[in-house]
Amino acid sequence: MTGLVFLEHHGGEFLKGSLGVLAKAASLGEAHAAVLGSGVAGLADQAGRYGAAKVYVVDDPALEAPLPQPRVDALAQIVREQAIENVFFAQSVLASDVAAGLAARLEAGLNWQLTDLAVEDGGLVGKQPALGDSVIVDVGWTQTPRLALFRSGAFDPVETGGQAAVEQVGVSFEDFSLAARMLEQLQEEATGPSIEEAEIIVAGGRGLGGPESFTVLEELAAALGGAVATTRAVVDAGWYPYSTQVGQTGKTVSPKLYVACGISGAIQHKVGMQGSAVIVAINKDPNAPIFEFCDLGVVGDLHSVVPKLTELVKTHRAG
Amino acid sequence: MTVRPADYPPPFDAAEAIGPPTDPADERIEVGVAVVGAGPAGLACAIRFGQLLDEAPELAERLGEVPVVVVEKGKQPGSHLLSGAVINPRALRSLFSGRPQADAFPRFGEVNAESVYVLRRSSALRIPPPPTMRNHGNVVVSLSQLGRWLAEQAEEAGATILPETAATKLLVDHGSVRGIRTGDRGRGREGQELGNFEPGSDIVAKVTVLAEGTQGYLTGAAVERFGLQGQNPQVYALGVKEVWRVAKPLDRVIHTMGWPLRTGARYREFGGSWIYPLGEDMVSLGFVVGLDYRDLELSPHDLLQELKTHKLVRRILEGGERLEWGAKTIPEGGFFSLPRQLHAPGLLICGDGAGMVNVPALKGVHYAVESGRLAAEAAFAALQPGETPARVGALASYDEAVRASYIWTDLEEVRNQRQAFGRGFFVGGALASTMTVTKGRFPKRPLTTEPDAEQTLFRSGRAESYPAPDGRVTFDKLSSVFLSGNKTRDDQPNHIRIAEPVPRDLAELWARMCPAQVYEVGEETGDGMVAVKLAPSNCVQCGAITAKGGRLTPPEGGSGPEYQRT
Repeated sequence: MTGLVFLEHHGGEFLKGSLGVLAKAASLGEAHAAVLGSGVAGLADQAGRYGAAKVYVVDDPALEAPLPQPRVDALAQIVREQAIENVFFAQSVLASDVAAGLAARLEAGLNWQLTDLAVEDGGLVGKQPALGDSVIVDVGWTQTPRLALFRSGAFDPVETGGQAAVEQVGVSFEDFSLAARMLEQLQEEATGPSIEEAEIIVAGGRGLGGPESFTVLEELAAALGGAVATTRAVVDAGWYPYSTQVGQTGKTVSPKLYVACGISGAIQHKVGMQGSAVIVAINKDPNAPIFEFCDLGVVGDLHSVVPKLTELVKTHRAG
Repeated sequence: MTVRPADYPPPFDAAEAIGPPTDPADERIEVGVAVVGAGPAGLACAIRFGQLLDEAPELAERLGEVPVVVVEKGKQPGSHLLSGAVINPRALRSLFSGRPQADAFPRFGEVNAESVYVLRRSSALRIPPPPTMRNHGNVVVSLSQLGRWLAEQAEEAGATILPETAATKLLVDHGSVRGIRTGDRGRGREGQELGNFEPGSDIVAKVTVLAEGTQGYLTGAAVERFGLQGQNPQVYALGVKEVWRVAKPLDRVIHTMGWPLRTGARYREFGGSWIYPLGEDMVSLGFVVGLDYRDLELSPHDLLQELKTHKLVRRILEGGERLEWGAKTIPEGGFFSLPRQLHAPGLLICGDGAGMVNVPALKGVHYAVESGRLAAEAAFAALQPGETPARVGALASYDEAVRASYIWTDLEEVRNQRQAFGRGFFVGGALASTMTVTKGRFPKRPLTTEPDAEQTLFRSGRAESYPAPDGRVTFDKLSSVFLSGNKTRDDQPNHIRIAEPVPRDLAELWARMCPAQVYEVGEETGDGMVAVKLAPSNCVQCGAITAKGGRLTPPEGGSGPEYQRT
C-alpha cells in the first residue's frame, strides 16, 4: 500500500500529528508526503527523516498563507498525475478544510475522525470511534482515491533517519482558488506548548477549589516543560480557558505523561486522555474513578503534593 | 419553612414563544404542512399526508416544492425518542393499511408471557396482571428505532425531514397559526454570534402540526395563547431507562410496583418499573415515578439503580453489560388533562404533546400514531378548494375524529385512575380496580389533580439508602449521561430557566431529581437561599424541570442525547 500524507507545517515546522500519520503510513507500506508552501525546500528533506520514501514539493507564493483552496488544487493535481490511491490527513482546521475540498474535487470518499488504520484481507480498513467513543466501527471505501482524516494525536511520529526522493511539482491554480486572501493572522497568546502538542500535561479538575490554585499546576508544568490542561467543570466555572479542556467535548490528547490533579476521572474526561502513555493521579478521594485507570495514584491533597513534586523535579533537573 | 416549587417561577413568559413572522417575505420558507417533532405522532402525520397527496396531484401541485416538512431538534429522527416500549400495533397497521409496510416495522417480537410483581426490599410477590396491563398481542419495540424507520417511510412518502432543527417560536398572525420559526445555531454562552453562526428561519405553513411529545415547548405556548387548557392541569412522571446486553434471554415482560417506592399516602410516590426483552440478548429496563412526589431527596435515577440491586432484577442482569441510558417525562394527567380542544386556526396538536397517554395500561405510542394520522386527514380536508385551514373551525374535524376514536374511549374509561394514586399505593390500587370494573363510571365526579410544582416539599433522609455506584450494576449520573450519547457543545447558551436564588430545599430537589446532573446546590446567598450551579450541556431534555418549577426551552438543534436503542 502506498499512501500520500499531507504534511502540515507552520513556522517552518511540521505538526506532530502530520508526522504521526506519516509514521503510520510508513508502517503499512510506502509513505509519500506532500509538502505545500512557499519557500519550503528545506522542509522536504526533513520529511525523509520521519519515514517518507518520496516527497512531492509544491513551492509557490500562492501557498504562502494557510488557505485551503490552493492546497486542494495542488493535491488534486498530484493525486491525478501520480494515480495515487490513498491520501491521509492529520486533523486540524486547515487539514479538515483541505480534505473536504479534495473529496469534493475528486468525488472521492472521505472517512474522518479515524483513530487507526489497518490492512485487513488486502483491503484498507479505518477505525472510527462512534456512539460517544463507546464502540469502534470499521469503515472502508468503495472506490479510489481513498481519503482519510485522523484524529489529532492518533499516532506518534517515528524518526527513521531515512532519506526521501524529492520531486518538485508545478501547479496551475484555479482562479476561484486564489479568490480568498489572508488579511490578518492572529496568534493566541500562549506560554509553553499547546496541549495537543505537549509531551507532558499537568491537568487540573474541580478538586483545585478555585482559579488561584492553578498557579501550583502551572509551576509543575513549567518545571516539567509541559502544558496545563483542564476538565469541563473547570472551564464551566470560568477558572481556565476552553482551549485547555480535555475530554468528550474538548480535546483528545495522548502525551507521554498525564498528571491529573483533583480530577475525579468521569468517563467524559477519560475519553479525552486515556491514550496517554503514563497517567498519574493525585486526588483526595480514594474512591475517585480515576484510580481505576491511572498507572500511579496518589491519595492526598494536591495543594501539598504538587508543590513538593515541583521541588523534586527542579532539584532533579538541576542535579 | 415550607417550600413549593411553584412559588419560585422561572423567568419565562409564554409570549416569548409566540409572534408574527419576522423574516422578509421573500426569505421565508413556504411549505404546505409544517410538523414539529419527528416522533410517532409527527411522522405518522407526515406519512398519512403523503399518502393522501399521492391521490391528489392538484393539491400537491398547489402546495409547492415542500408539501410537508418535519422539524426535529435531535441529531436525527429517534435521537430524542425514549419509551419502554410495549406497543399496541393497531395504529401502525391502520396507518399502513393495505401497504407492504403494514407489518414491517422494526420490533423485538410479540409479548407471549408477562409477570407483575409487588416488590419489597427482599421479596417479590407475583400478582395477576391487572386487566389494564395485559399485553397479549402487543409487541416490544425500541421507540428510537421505530422513529428512525418511520422517518424513512415519511421521506419515501414525500416529506422533507429537517433534523438538528429546534422550533423556537410559533408564528401567529391575525389570530391564526402561520408556521414556526427555527432556532439560531452557533451562539456562544452569552448569546454572542460565533464564527459558525446561522440564524433561524421562518417556516410558513398552511397547517402547523405540533407533535412535540412530552412538555412540548410550542404546545405549551399554543395552549395558553388559544385558551385550550383542559379541566385538570397536566401532571407528569419521570422515567429513567437503561438498555442492557444480557447473558441469558429474558422470556417475558415484567412490571413491578412497590419498593423502592414507599407506599404511604404522605409520600405520594406513584410508579414502578418495567423489564422487557429486546430479542435474545438485550433487555430494556426502566423506572417511572410520578413527579407529584414530595420528598426532595427522591432521585429517579438512583431509584433505578436501587431497583437493580433487588435479587429479581440482579438475576436478569447477571453477567451483562449496560449499553445505553436515557430519561424522559411522561404526561400522566390523562383524560381530564387533555386540552379542551386539539385545534386552533391553522394548528393541530397530537400525541404526547396533547397528553394522550393511558397510564394504567402504560400505553401512548399507538395513540400518538393514530392522532397523527387523524391530524393529516383533517389538514388534507381543510386544504381542499373552497376551504382554508386558517378559518376558525376549519380543522374541527380533527377533534371530532379523535373523539370518535379509541383514543378517546380508552382514555375516558381510565379517566380517574392516575389521580386515585395520590392517596397512596394501596388505597389507589383499590380505587383503580373499582374503576376498571365499572369501566370508569365510578366515581361519578372527576378526581382533580394539582400541578406537580404545587406539592409542598419535605425531607425524609431517603438519599442515605441509595446504593453507592459500583460501576458494574449501579452507576452514577455522569457515566450514565455519557451512555445517552450526549455530546452537547459546552459553550452554547443556557437553555434552562430557573429562579435564583432559591431555598436550599428547592435547589436540592432539582439536584436530586435531575437524572443528568444538570443542577448543583451552589453557594449560600443568605436567609437560607442558595445559588444553583448549572451544567446545561449534560441535559438530556427529559422535561422534568418544567414540571417541578423551572422551564426547559429548546437548546440549539442537534444537541442533547443521541439515543439509539431506547
